[in-house]
Amino acid sequence: MKELFPKQHVMGFGFSLLLTIIALAVVKFDMSYNIAFAILLVTALAQATVQLVLFMHIGESEDKKTLYTTILYSVFVAVVTILGTLFAMIWGY
Amino acid sequence: MKIDSSLPLEYSTEENRLKIFGFWIFLGAEIMLFATLFAVYFTLHTRTGSGPDGAEIFELTPVLLETFLLLASSFTIGLGVHAMRLGNKKAMMTFFIITLILGLGFLGIEIDEFVTYVHEGATITTSAFLSALMTLLGTHGAHVTFGFFWGVAILIQVARRGLNPQTANKAFIFSLYWHFLDVVWIFIFSFVYLKGLIS
Repeated sequence: MKELFPKQHVMGFGFSLLLTIIALAVVKFDMSYNIAFAILLVTALAQATVQLVLFMHIGESEDKKTLYTTILYSVFVAVVTILGTLFAMIWGY
Repeated sequence: MKIDSSLPLEYSTEENRLKIFGFWIFLGAEIMLFATLFAVYFTLHTRTGSGPDGAEIFELTPVLLETFLLLASSFTIGLGVHAMRLGNKKAMMTFFIITLILGLGFLGIEIDEFVTYVHEGATITTSAFLSALMTLLGTHGAHVTFGFFWGVAILIQVARRGLNPQTANKAFIFSLYWHFLDVVWIFIFSFVYLKGLIS
């Protein structure tokens, strides 16, 4: 039974629950919008990292360099898409 | 077909390795798909017209439950893949079944949430905010729905054929997809619900 619950996965699950609770703080406590947004950004990115590294084992195969490059590049395009849209549509440039 | 027995089954042939590699590239494209939906949502979330805004319709309890169910399902499918690598077919299938049940629970809550919105008069045509919101949530929900049937199909194949390089590869790729949906949900949870509740 014990070998069915590897430490890495149990830790990953613990981390993801902990990060969810930390993110909840922005609703439960009064704080400035900027601080709340920063907390959300950090916890969400940490959650994504937990999933990628501890659950999806992105670094386990010989392709890991290419995989990291692919994911980082997609994230880069995603960030450019979102910030670029806000830049044009909301921030009034 | 050259089988490298030093690797787990899902990586054991050249073809399998390339399929996993290709799926990661597909996930890169999915990241960009959801990024465009988030971009639309962030652009339109203040355009509530005569309808409600996020703080009025979002309810924390069901959202937390959804988050917990999806995080737990991500955990159990990880355990399923681990059991698969130990060659334990029964444990693997059990974990996959638990994963799919948790996924169904998530979908049930999300469908209930949509029905509630519509009953409150917040439909997809009410305002730009709700159009963007429901497109984003619906796309994620559609992915989970598709994933559920995909998972069922894989379970049937594993039950019939046992664990071999083909079925293990399919099951592993499905697990990548499922984890990815969890990542997307975390961003929805943080930047749609929690952010909507504070502003």
